[in-house]
Amino acid sequence: MSSTTALPTSEDQRSDDSHLLSYPRFLKRILWLATEGSFGFYAWMTLLTALSLVGLNAWANQVAGGMIGTNMTDHVSWGLYIANFTFCVGLAAGGVMMVIPAYLYDDEDMHKVVIVGETVAIAAIVMCTLSVVVDLGRPDRFWHLIPGLGEFNWPVSMLTWDVIVLNGYLLINLHVVGYLLYMRYLGRKPNPSWYIPFVFLSIFWAISIHTVTAFLYCGLGGRPFWNTALLAPRFLASAFVSGPAFIILVMRVMRVTAGYTAPVGPARTLIQIIRVAMVVNLVMLASEIFTLFYTGGAHVSAAKYLFFGAHGHSGLVPWMWSSIVLNLLGTFLFFLPSAMQRSTVRIVACLCCIVGIWIEKGMGLIIPGFIPSTLHEIVEYSPSLIEWKVTVGIWAFGLLVLTVLMKLVISVFGGQVSPKEPTATT
Amino acid sequence: MKRIASLVSAAVVVTAALMVLLCLDDTTLRDHSHTGRDAVTQSVVSASSESNPDTPSAPEQASSVPSRHAVLIRRPEGPPLIELAAADPQGRSGKVACSTCHSVRKPNFQTRSAAALDEFHQGLTFNHGTLTCYACHNPDHSDALRLADGSKVEYRDVMTLCSQCHAAQATSFQHGAHGGMNGFWDLSRGPQRKNNCIDCHDPHEPRFPKMVVGFKPRDRFSEAGKEHDDHE
Amino acid sequence: MTTTNDSSPTGDGSQVDGSQGDRSLPVLQHSSRRTAVKGAFATLGAAAFVAAVSPLRQAAKQTTAAEFMQTHYKRLTDEDKRQVIERLEAEVKQEHGVDVDIADDRPIPGTKFVYAINLSVCNGNGKCVEACHKENNHDRATNQSYIRVLEMPKGTMDMEHGNTTYSGVVPKDDKFYLPVQCQQCDEPPCVDVCPVKATWKEEDGIVVVDYNWCIGCRYCEAACPYHARRFNWKQAEVPADEINPDQSYLSNRLRPVGVVEKCTYCLHRTRRGKLPACLEACPTGARVFGNILDPDSNIRWILENKRVYILKEELGTKPAFFYYFD
Repeated sequence: MSSTTALPTSEDQRSDDSHLLSYPRFLKRILWLATEGSFGFYAWMTLLTALSLVGLNAWANQVAGGMIGTNMTDHVSWGLYIANFTFCVGLAAGGVMMVIPAYLYDDEDMHKVVIVGETVAIAAIVMCTLSVVVDLGRPDRFWHLIPGLGEFNWPVSMLTWDVIVLNGYLLINLHVVGYLLYMRYLGRKPNPSWYIPFVFLSIFWAISIHTVTAFLYCGLGGRPFWNTALLAPRFLASAFVSGPAFIILVMRVMRVTAGYTAPVGPARTLIQIIRVAMVVNLVMLASEIFTLFYTGGAHVSAAKYLFFGAHGHSGLVPWMWSSIVLNLLGTFLFFLPSAMQRSTVRIVACLCCIVGIWIEKGMGLIIPGFIPSTLHEIVEYSPSLIEWKVTVGIWAFGLLVLTVLMKLVISVFGGQVSPKEPTATT
Repeated sequence: MKRIASLVSAAVVVTAALMVLLCLDDTTLRDHSHTGRDAVTQSVVSASSESNPDTPSAPEQASSVPSRHAVLIRRPEGPPLIELAAADPQGRSGKVACSTCHSVRKPNFQTRSAAALDEFHQGLTFNHGTLTCYACHNPDHSDALRLADGSKVEYRDVMTLCSQCHAAQATSFQHGAHGGMNGFWDLSRGPQRKNNCIDCHDPHEPRFPKMVVGFKPRDRFSEAGKEHDDHE
Repeated sequence: MTTTNDSSPTGDGSQVDGSQGDRSLPVLQHSSRRTAVKGAFATLGAAAFVAAVSPLRQAAKQTTAAEFMQTHYKRLTDEDKRQVIERLEAEVKQEHGVDVDIADDRPIPGTKFVYAINLSVCNGNGKCVEACHKENNHDRATNQSYIRVLEMPKGTMDMEHGNTTYSGVVPKDDKFYLPVQCQQCDEPPCVDVCPVKATWKEEDGIVVVDYNWCIGCRYCEAACPYHARRFNWKQAEVPADEINPDQSYLSNRLRPVGVVEKCTYCLHRTRRGKLPACLEACPTGARVFGNILDPDSNIRWILENKRVYILKEELGTKPAFFYYFD
């Protein structure tokens, strides 16, 4: 977390000691502050910690007993973990969408908003990484992935690209968030040359993480359901919905619980983005469905199973139709005029789209890639209890990270902490 | 590896196209296209220098013929022996050669199935085209077989007989494309043992027998598929 | 104000926090009490954490330091390999009480292995499936094997109409049988996608896995169009007296849990000049194996003289595995 190297150590005129000392002190101070809060806050944090530990325990059991604890098989060799991973990548990518309107408006107050987007991205990336780690059969061999120590199959393996872009994205966002908070803490105006380039980099990088993740699947010729050029654009479109929708929810929670308000302008722009992106997403989904079903042939068998069931198996049908209903409902709600206000409609619309896309990207995309299998066998999949526990644990931990980061943002922007008063108490 | 080479070259083409669009200055254009060409060369070099399964080195053991092991084709022990159902009038029992009876019996060249016989060989299923018994069995030498030209061929050389009609199978057999085998594929290291025709094909009913599947994978979660076997 | 607020996370502490939650500057006394509460929380949390990860301790016992530190197969020196193999053999001896011989069979120069199956002859009896199961020390409970056989209706090559769960008397009159195993592709997608180079194609064409390097991400399983790869969801169980002691490091040695494995054309046999186990077991003689670089080889004659079908040829994987017809 302490990316001190990314900080300006040269141009400090006002502070007494070097940033190398003052930045860690700042981190320590705000992290301590992040553990202060109301009863509701403590209850929330306790709940998240407990859920994370349940997930951790489930994962530990999975490692000890083998992946047989999951319901994955040689036929459906990726399951809930990779499904969740795919969604979280979208969340991370979409988190930065907040940044674009902020810089289009070029408003000082926008930093408040940018920071939220970037923190959501950080938490989402943490969830991505965890989702992949829990999917490994041999997490003890994780070091084989470290360039230099292990064997890194770059650039041939798309997974190595994913490792690079996800970690790079994490670092960029940690830097931007850390820098903006630190400058605010020092009471100084952020130097644009220290973060504007990174903000723009993070916008492009956000697109790259989701594109690379789509390439992970669509480059596989043996999986006709994934093997479509439309996959990456679809991923992006849905990320531009789920990310901003999630940010709107987070902003709402921050406003209700901590009175952290942001200007209405960017939120409206966000809704505009969601409207367009969701329609694009649905159009691409429809186009995909048309191509599959009108052409028929080998490519349609997975889609047939997904939408209508095949050979007497229909495990994914309820998932997919609820996703479609939720997506359509969410889109409809977003197009209502009241979605532009701070209304319940907006919140419901966000929830619909988030859940709808979670299913569409996971149970509706990753799993049907394996059903029917490459030998056209149908082996169905539904996640085991261990998988659900671990996934809930990952979400709880992600929200834990997000809550702590939000606490930092609120305490720094609320002026509760500054270098002038070392103890922050009377 | 080839995939990467083609990816790289595609990337180069795209970059070059972008350069053309973006660059107005001729000199820079030339510079860029030059770097592009370098990249292609490099990728080709790296593709061939790493593992390259397409062009392996020339075979070496083809020349080392001297110590070649044999391809051993199993052969029948000899003429068949008939197990006697009961002791004969002299009280003898056991196995007897075909000639025991056939040397004193006149051959009927018309017989095509056991149904026409009343003394012996009843119940022998015969399902091998429209052949007569003496198409293959030798009327003059009951403990041998006969070829189409009437010449005698020993039971041990039964494959010669089969090959008269089944030349395609015989050719395939010669090249390992018909019939089971065991042992070594590499004859410089050890011998190969092959079945002969009648190991797998009953000459009287040569269709390969039906079998019962004895071993199936027991996959998780595919039990349902096993029960109703109506996978269209 | 209660004084026992450090005892439980949700009980008494609630009143304290609730009453002063929004005060930005709490008095010093409360602050220190709060520190104590936080300390208690942290201790509780740490204890819960230790309890949660406790199953890992057992898993850690199964992995020795030497195994953890072992480097990639291609980076091992001859001396390293000797030690690794010694260690693996000792582990089998300790766990199963069986003496196994793990060799490090390398490709024979000038060989490129190719397999062919005669679809006009194969009757789907499954002997090859069983032979593979035994030869390669597969898990007994699941009848694991590298070969799957599809029963296909005559008149189609579309596997959509196939069925792997057939049983009973074979061959059925209206069916033909299509055994599928690793095709040892010349453009193997599984090798391309592996993030840690734990699987690669060797000079004789066999795609191998270093079971001690694979991280178990199963990307290769997703990439393979032939369902050729298997993952060790649990430790394979083989009775001690059924373990095939003729083993090779890259082939049929007992595989650790959590890694991917695959058909190696029985390299522990074929690199010693012998025929693969599935071929020897085939009662119909449908299987042919050999070195395609040898112009006099069986396999060469088949490719030159028979009609050949390549499974999913349109994917460009260039299999070293052919189906032919009489």
